[in-house]
Parts: sequence; structure tokens; C-alpha cells
Amino acid sequence: MNLYKNSHQLAQELITQLSPAWGVSGYEHSLKPILKDIFIKFPVEITDDFRGNFYIRKDGSQNKQTVMLAAHQDEIGLMVKYIDGLGLVHFSNVGGIDQRTLLNQEVIIHARQNIRGIISLLAQEKATPSKRSFLPEELVIDTGYSLEKATQLIKPGDIVSIVRQPITLLNQRIAGKAMDDRAGIAVMAVCLNELTRIEHKHRVVAVATVQEEVGLRGAVTGTDRLQPEIAVAIDVTHAQTPDSKAQVNHDLGKGPVLALGPNIHPKIFEGLQAAAQENRLPYQIEPAAGPTGTDARVIQLTGEGIPTGLVSIPLRYMHTSVETISLSDVVDSGKLLAYYIASLPEDLEELSCF
Amino acid sequence: MTENLTLDYNLLKDLTQAYGPSGNEKQVAALIKEYAENFVDSVETDTLGNLILRKNGSGKGSNKKKIMIAAHMDEVGLIVTYIDRNGYLYFSPVGGIKVAELPGRRVMFGCGLKGVIARERKVNEQGKPIGKCFIDIGVLGEEEARNKVQEGDMAILTGEFVETDSHIMAKALDDRLGCFIALQACKNYQGDHDLYFTFTVQEEVGARGAKTAAYSIEPDLALIIDTTISYDTPREEYSTAANKGVAIKAMDRTIIVSPRIKQWMTNTADQHSIPYQCEVISTGGTDSGPVHLSKGGIPTGGLAVPVRYLHTASEVAVKADIEAAYALLSELLKNPLDI
Repeated sequence: MNLYKNSHQLAQELITQLSPAWGVSGYEHSLKPILKDIFIKFPVEITDDFRGNFYIRKDGSQNKQTVMLAAHQDEIGLMVKYIDGLGLVHFSNVGGIDQRTLLNQEVIIHARQNIRGIISLLAQEKATPSKRSFLPEELVIDTGYSLEKATQLIKPGDIVSIVRQPITLLNQRIAGKAMDDRAGIAVMAVCLNELTRIEHKHRVVAVATVQEEVGLRGAVTGTDRLQPEIAVAIDVTHAQTPDSKAQVNHDLGKGPVLALGPNIHPKIFEGLQAAAQENRLPYQIEPAAGPTGTDARVIQLTGEGIPTGLVSIPLRYMHTSVETISLSDVVDSGKLLAYYIASLPEDLEELSCF
Repeated sequence: MTENLTLDYNLLKDLTQAYGPSGNEKQVAALIKEYAENFVDSVETDTLGNLILRKNGSGKGSNKKKIMIAAHMDEVGLIVTYIDRNGYLYFSPVGGIKVAELPGRRVMFGCGLKGVIARERKVNEQGKPIGKCFIDIGVLGEEEARNKVQEGDMAILTGEFVETDSHIMAKALDDRLGCFIALQACKNYQGDHDLYFTFTVQEEVGARGAKTAAYSIEPDLALIIDTTISYDTPREEYSTAANKGVAIKAMDRTIIVSPRIKQWMTNTADQHSIPYQCEVISTGGTDSGPVHLSKGGIPTGGLAVPVRYLHTASEVAVKADIEAAYALLSELLKNPLDI
């Protein structure tokens, strides 16, 4: 059974569907029906937990051991802090949002009802002619409501998401919000789709984790529950932009980025690299000197320790609403993971030793 | 509010005046144990020093929940790092204390020894003090000092307990207020569920006690009671503030409370006309951080009393907020969320 003959089409459909959907860290519940809708079509079992980690299990031919895939479903956003005397809504960041890009954005405040607003700048007390920048606390949401109406409808603690429809650029590129890490979920879907026609021995559990952007929290609890033998996290990494000079080595469209370093089990890196070479898939390498800023960081340290790998999709303009990726990298990453999983030895214990 | 509350503020007085910097919570634990022994079903102290009081519920079967209620016993303090030849004690802060604000304050060691904090007289070119702070315990030299203290001993800031008609002023309201509210709720609870009133250690240095306690208790639900900054002082932006009710946690640096839990808490407050506000802060955290990530994820909520001048010797809270926190905790325990 192979649902989608064309992985490309699958990836494009999912990203177009997932990118505009809202699911700020801690408030991912509205993504659940969408994820269900997507993965119910696969030959898989679906479960979730209290905080919203979404588990997609595909059985293997032997099924004795578990390979975990993890891509986070949450996106960065804002939370209402208080409403000032003019009815303007002040907020806190949820996750490491790129402050420069917030001004003039359209947002939705998810209060008892959804309320649209735009982000504006407070009159600056100490503005000088030379001042070209602003402080984070000078940004506010203007809903158009009066003070009375605003305080009645909006409460501190209400979550706020950014509004943006994805657009297709040239060269299979897509720009939009939350590509970090909905593109990773598309990678897991491509992988599971490929695995419907490739034999694999082990059980694969793809987890759409929650709360990555605020401290990898869903991966902490999700991995603890799952206790897999090995794991591969899927996230995004900075790609070259016109102004990045020589400091960034990865480019859009040149294939999945395989991390290596202390956070990564060398045998998993080698296995991924070998799978790419054998199947003539392009790949790029990213050395990570310390712990990576991804779910891989906490997965590796769960329980007695879990051999962990990391596959990243190159992405431009991180943590803005115009994050740009290449579809071919998503497809190649999914295929690479499928080939890697199929190539795994009968007993994953072999990987536990260094 | 549903019931007319009479809280025993003498207990709060004793709790705030006890000595208990992070890692040295024994005296606070002894006080709590003595107070609660007669009305709980079991008393246990774990390896780190967390004190766990159990109150068994009368419920039967699957509806019976295991609920952890946590408040931390420790307070911010100072640790002696060096004793000079004249017997002056140099120190480092334990927890979030602003050392520059300490000169003139009085301190107390675990043995009851008192001291004052002063500062080396050095100033920079602008006349600003740049000297280090030290503790003077009134001794004639290093030898006499060493007979009373050694490096590694901890001191706390002393701050008298003052009760006005509407306010409480004292040291260590963070988080003896939480301990106080938990104890009152523990004393008065009669219900179906098994409650684990957990008085944690080392919150001020990274919520350490709560982490191991949650792991061993493995509750179905956890409620953390702490204090939060009150922003109602002059020239301050308004968010959580004293006299606006109990603060229900929505987010801090270590947790985003599940919307279901937040809603259960705000609905309960609404139903019982308990004044409340939502707490959204981008800094700081409480025991709720490590607890909600323990054992594959424990559903966790947080409530707090807004306190002015947190982490000083003179913390100030409003009685109405304390009573609102107590009322909300009691109601939440009567009707816990079905997970």
C-alpha cells in the first residue's frame, strides 16, 4: 500500500496545510485534528498524551525494538501580558521570536473568540533622531477595540499567533511561518510513506513533539514515555542567505544536513551518511561543537542514554514569518531516513556501544 | 468567597521567622512537622530533605486521585566563602539576592548568631561604591570568628514579622506563605483524594527538591503554591499586582501551563467568586518547571500570591490575596480536573 506515489506532492500538500495552522508552544491542541487527518491515511497507529505530543507508530517486520523520530509541531508566538489604559495589548514572547520582524505583523489573539490585531509601536518616550530601532516592550497589539471592550474580551494569559499564508517561490522553494518545524513533520510523513514500500525490521514511532521552542519540553516527556532504542530528531538549521558571508555552509536545495558532534551518536551519523551515499541522495554536514538546540539535546540524555542522530532541513530567515525552505530538501530528508531505517541491523543494541 | 476565612497568622509569623536558606531547611521542616503531625496520615522526609505530609482520601476506585501540593521551604541567603584575619566574613549569595542592596541589613546564622552587613569603603572615580560586602559578627579577630562560624555556613537576612489590618510584612514570605497556605488547606481538607503536601527544598537555587519529590510521588496532578512579583509600586508597568487576587500561572520561563489546567483553575475561581489574575512572566520559574516534566509529564498548575520587594528582608503581601489563594486551593482540591 503506497498512498502517495509522489513524495514531492505529499510534502507540498502537508507543508501548505501545516504552515498556516496555528499551534504556539503549549497551545498545540488545534493542530491535533490536522495531524490526525494527515496520518490516519497511513497504515499506522495514532496516540497522544496529556500535553499534546502526537505519536505515529508504524510496525516493522520484527517489531522488537523502537526507532523514534521527532519533529516538533509547535511554533513561536506571543502571550498577552496586560492591557494598558488605551486598550493596547502588551505581550511576552513565547520562544525566541525575531523581534525585528514583529512590527506591522498581523496576529490573532486566541481569546474566548479569535480577535485579529496588528503589531504597532508605542510612541517612543525618548526618541531621538538617531534612534532607528525599538525596544521589545515598545511593541503592542492594536485590535481596534476600545479599552472597555478590549479588557472585557482579552485576558492576560491569552495566546497569540502570527498570521501568514505560505507562498511558493521559484526553484521548489516555499516561504511562510512555522516551517520550523512543520517541514520536519512533512519529513516524517515522507519517511513513513516511503516505508510502506520498503521492508523495515523495527517499529518506527514518529513523534510530533510539543514545546520545543521554549526548552525542548515535549521531547523530555515524550522520550521518557517511549523509551526507544535509538532516535533521530528532525529540525531546521540556518541556510546561507545573501548576507551570511562565509559563516554558514549549508545551502537550500543541497540536501539534508547531517549533524555530528558530541550530541550525535557517531554510528547514527555514519549510518545516515552511508544511506545517503548508497542511494545517491545529496547531503550536507553540520558539525555541532556543543549540545544542539534541538530535541536531540534532551533525547540523548533520557533514561540511561539514547543513541541519537539529527537531520536538519536548511532554512533561511529563522523565526520570522517568511521562513524559506526547499521542497527537495524535505523529500530527500524523508527518503534518507526511510533508507536508513531499512538498513538498520537486526539488533539495535549494537548501536548502544560506542 | 464561599466561606468566611480565619487564617491563623501566628503560624505564618513562626514560619517566616524560621531559619532556612537553600540546603538548610531543617528548622522549617521541624516547625511544619510539629504543627501538622496530629492531622496527617503520614510524615516522610526524603534524601534531599523534602518533607512530605500525606493525607489519605476517603474515595474508592478509579476516581481517587493522587495530588501533589508543593510549596518550598527554603529562602534566599548568603554563604560564607572567606574569613579574614580581623574576623570579617566574606560571602556569596545563595539564590537571587542583590548583594549591592545588602549593606545595613542584619543577618542570622543557623545557630542563632547575628551579624550586620557592611561594605569596603572603596569608591570609583565617580564616587560610586565598588567595595565588596562582608558580614560583621562582632568578634575581636579571626580566631574568635572561627570558633563560631566556618566557610560554608549560611546566613539569612532577618526581617521582623509585621501584621497590619490589610498587609503582612516579613522576610521569607517567599515561600513560607506557600507553606502556610498549604498547611491550612491540609488541616481543613476532607475529601476523596490522596493528597501529598510536599514542602520542598532548594527551590531558590533551581527548583531542585521538587524534581526528585515529583519523581518519587508520581502524582496524577500537581499544584504549586509560590509567590510572584507584584508590579504595583510607583512608576512600574502594570501586570500582576497585590490586592488583585490570587495569581493563576499561565507562563513563566520554565513552564507553559496547559490551557486545560489554566481553564480549570480560572473557572473554579469564577464559580466561587474568588478574585484572581493570570500570571505571565518572561523571567523566573518555580517548582512547577521540573515537576511538569517529571515521569513522562505530570499535569501541573501554579498559583501564587503577589509579593512586593521579593528576595529582600521586607517582603510585603496583602492578606486578601493570601485568603484568595487559600480559598482557591481548597476549592481546587475539592474538585480536581479529570485528566
